[in-house]
Amino acid sequence: MSDDIVKIEVNGVPLEARKGEMLIEVTDRAGIYIPRFCYHHKLSVAANCRMCLVDIEKAPKPMPACATPVADGMKVYTRSRRAIDAQKATMEFLLINHPLDCPICDQGGECELQDLAVGYGRDVSRYTERKRVVKDLNIGPLISTDMTRCIHCTRCVRFGIEIQGIQQLGTIGRGERTVISTYVERAVEHELSGNIIDLCPVGALNNKPYRYSARPWEMSSKPLVAAHDAVGSNIYAHVLRGRVKRVVPKRNDSINETWISDRDRFSCYGLYADDRLEKPMVKIDQQWTEATWQEALELAARELVKTLDGEGEALGVLVSPNATLEEMFLLRRIADRLGSRNIDHRLRRRDFRDQNADPVFPWLGCSIEGLERRDAILVVGSNLRMEAPLIAHRVRNAALDGAAVTFVNPAAYTYHFEHEYVDAPVERMVHALGALVVAAARETQKQVPAVAAKLASEIAASDAHTSAVRRLIGKERALILLGHLAQRHPQFAEIRALAAALAALTGAEIGYIAEGANGAGAAISGVLPHRGPGGAAGGEPGLDVQGMINSPRRAYIVFGIEPREDIANGERAEQALKSADTVITFSSYVTDELLGCSTVLLPIAAFAETPGTFVNGEGRWQSFDAAANPVGDARPGWRVLRVLANLLGVEDAEYRSAEEVLDGVRRAVGETRPDNSYSGQIEAEGDAVQVSLDELDVPIYSVDAVVRRSEPLQRTVFARGAKGDDDARAEIRVQSAG
Amino acid sequence: MSDGNSARMEAGKAVLSEHVREEIDRWVAKFPEGRQRSAVIAALHAVQHEHGYLTQPLMDAVAEYLNLPPVQVYEVASFYSMFETKPVGRHKISVCTNISCMLRGADEIVEHVERKLGIKTGESTPDGRFYLKCEEECLAACVGAPMMMVDHVYYENLTPEKVDEILDSLD
Amino acid sequence: MYPVKTFLMTELLAGLRLTLKHFFTRKATVLYPEEKTPKSPRFRGLHALRRYPNGQERCIACKLCEAVCPAQAITIESGVGPDGTRRTTRYDIDLFKCIYCGFCEEACPVDAIVETRIHEFHMERRGENIMTKDKLLAVGDKYEAMIAADKAADAPYR
Repeated sequence: MSDDIVKIEVNGVPLEARKGEMLIEVTDRAGIYIPRFCYHHKLSVAANCRMCLVDIEKAPKPMPACATPVADGMKVYTRSRRAIDAQKATMEFLLINHPLDCPICDQGGECELQDLAVGYGRDVSRYTERKRVVKDLNIGPLISTDMTRCIHCTRCVRFGIEIQGIQQLGTIGRGERTVISTYVERAVEHELSGNIIDLCPVGALNNKPYRYSARPWEMSSKPLVAAHDAVGSNIYAHVLRGRVKRVVPKRNDSINETWISDRDRFSCYGLYADDRLEKPMVKIDQQWTEATWQEALELAARELVKTLDGEGEALGVLVSPNATLEEMFLLRRIADRLGSRNIDHRLRRRDFRDQNADPVFPWLGCSIEGLERRDAILVVGSNLRMEAPLIAHRVRNAALDGAAVTFVNPAAYTYHFEHEYVDAPVERMVHALGALVVAAARETQKQVPAVAAKLASEIAASDAHTSAVRRLIGKERALILLGHLAQRHPQFAEIRALAAALAALTGAEIGYIAEGANGAGAAISGVLPHRGPGGAAGGEPGLDVQGMINSPRRAYIVFGIEPREDIANGERAEQALKSADTVITFSSYVTDELLGCSTVLLPIAAFAETPGTFVNGEGRWQSFDAAANPVGDARPGWRVLRVLANLLGVEDAEYRSAEEVLDGVRRAVGETRPDNSYSGQIEAEGDAVQVSLDELDVPIYSVDAVVRRSEPLQRTVFARGAKGDDDARAEIRVQSAG
Repeated sequence: MSDGNSARMEAGKAVLSEHVREEIDRWVAKFPEGRQRSAVIAALHAVQHEHGYLTQPLMDAVAEYLNLPPVQVYEVASFYSMFETKPVGRHKISVCTNISCMLRGADEIVEHVERKLGIKTGESTPDGRFYLKCEEECLAACVGAPMMMVDHVYYENLTPEKVDEILDSLD
Repeated sequence: MYPVKTFLMTELLAGLRLTLKHFFTRKATVLYPEEKTPKSPRFRGLHALRRYPNGQERCIACKLCEAVCPAQAITIESGVGPDGTRRTTRYDIDLFKCIYCGFCEEACPVDAIVETRIHEFHMERRGENIMTKDKLLAVGDKYEAMIAADKAADAPYR
């Protein structure tokens, strides 16, 4: 046995612990429960609630288990008379000022204080004085406050300092007048802010959109996978009478720990927007009429066959990267059946020249958890916090652990950790990367690689470039992350080639932040014009998204997309669709735009209403079942596609469940090994491109149809700032300080 | 740190006077690099000395100057009883009501001051002369209980007459 | 012995005597509906939702009655009321499911849902068995005096 293991005894049970561990960590691991309010395994120890007092032999008084390090031979009693008395006394103090409004409190039924009051509270209060009342504050559209209920555990304050990296809430005042407050009334604005709702052990901080709408005991809790970024956070949807009432995190230490982003938490309030498509609709003689599923699908199949008239090339299939693996696979099969290779999910990508050098799927380069063990991370073209908040959180953890994090970005986005920034103006991003490659070649005393050879003459590596490169060189686990801005850039081919050259020079690895919840799954299932399922190459490549809109097709299948918002050059995409003869649109929502450019509108189940599988950025396949009922006559996408496939005569498509489709995917895909090694042959030219950052950077709360309809998210400072609200922009500046 | 932070420091400089900044710099120098948060109390003292009380812009300026989140400065300012976040009277009267003084009749003294000035604890006289602090804790002069502190000066072994004398002597 | 008894009709007479006796004793039956037997203030009949004297609904949508109901006869939907407080947007009791156990009344922290002493009610059409919030409040408004008196009468024993 090594020296750093100590033996202790808790309630007579012998336990082993690492030296320096706190008692509560050991008992938690052993399944011995100690009551607590302020302790949280992901936050620092505050020891201010005193609820975890336990009896330790030879200690003169009860000790807080969360702040008492284990010592060899320690004998602990968590249920002794002294421990229980101490806990009861603590509870009595906590309840002095806590209001008895459990019946109207949203936390009622899932409240840590309520639960422990049952075990440790007195049935009659001895306190006859007046209770404290605290004025509530408005801290934004996501979190409701009832600060009178606060027991000052300071979990929310520590979350701000330690996880967000920016303190917005503080303990104001002292003694009985202590309040948790922002002091000046202002919105708490961070992409992870909603987690303080879960952290709050009482009903002081609660979910504002969910406020008063349900009780915890009446909802069923359905595990799901979040549908807005490549993290694939594990979540629970809390469902009442077939409707999602709220979303809470499901602990998964290798993905999202116990956190989820606000986008994942509050997007569900966009599900029941007024413009949900509830019935299939068909356009006959320029008139929209509601139809039965049978009529609509038969018409869709008939029109497709008629319009194409045997020419598969005339069909374009546009697929949302948030569709499930099953849906994507079926779309691929339908396209194959109709003889079209024009199928793509890379809606916001602009540059496909080098697509044959794309990896089998856009892999993060390591596991999400593994990001924390990286010793150098160079992020290229990514508004990281907005693109994938929890990846940004992992990168922050890596930085706090000493990793050298550098951003090569068109704008200095705010990050609350030590980092370096290399300015890469959007039209000259290639130059910035070229300069890094040149600097790396100089620093490693190697030849400038061919890709940057032409550039080398016209660029000069500045100190910033040299410093950024030095932070990569000599690191064992360096990673170069290509973000959404890079992938959407009109010169992505050059950017990637240069990043790969930089990686080769410095010994770093390459990683991609996939777009959408299932960008990786889309590549795997073959929703690509140049590859089949599992990355199989073969045949003449079809048209990519931009190709499909630049040389308009006669027929389109559009799946889960609002063209103007979701596709790069969206206006042009809309025009292309309008000019087509047949456009079969699968959508959860109906908008004027979709009515204007479709011929058949098929209502499909939105996120949480369909079973399916997402492949996240680290290549993890995560299947989930439907949590809520689809609205109206909407049906899960895979079912609709299956029937359409049957009508079109796709062979062996008699799937009876999403699992059977998934089995089909597995058979077709086989083994996919993540491999980001780069084999492209691109030579970077020095031409600047005309593109603005606003075109590339999609605001955090505008990424997909559900999020865009979530009213609480749209009221946040981030969303308002993105829409040009100057007050909101000023607010972001103030908050991101410090 | 990024450019945003140096811009903030500049903004903080604009509000704080030269003297205050010197004083803050002196205190920051006493602490290790990166521990400028430790200088918040001293900084607030300096600012309050100059302005009488701490307004939100002043606290923000201190936060900006020390490169801290504003809420960390609010926390300190609201915690310590020697910092005022609202306008108060010129002379600050703190009558100790902790146990030694209480046993020696501090409650009577407080009552007397309240009657004499016509205000309650936590209030200022309308003419802006006096400010009677809210519930002061032990000021470490138990030997001379009951005691009070007026503008940083200790007065011990108080009687109502003595209080009158002290207060009347102030402008 | 038997023929004798039959011949003398003693048993018949004994029976008639009992009958005759009841002609002159006080009758146990009442002429319902003109006459009614007294009821306990705790009688558990038709449900009602009460208001405070100022007209505000008592119900705070805590859903404890819904949770405690053994017949699952109560359906509540809640939301933020116009004044920012927690209020029901729907409060339905299915009288066909209800077993009149009174648990809802016991669970209620604000004495909003009560079972009144009203037991004479009927339905003529499908759907009338659902007591909606409006109907429950109407019952409460109409019989508030009676409900309050019953509550007061029962209060010393609780």
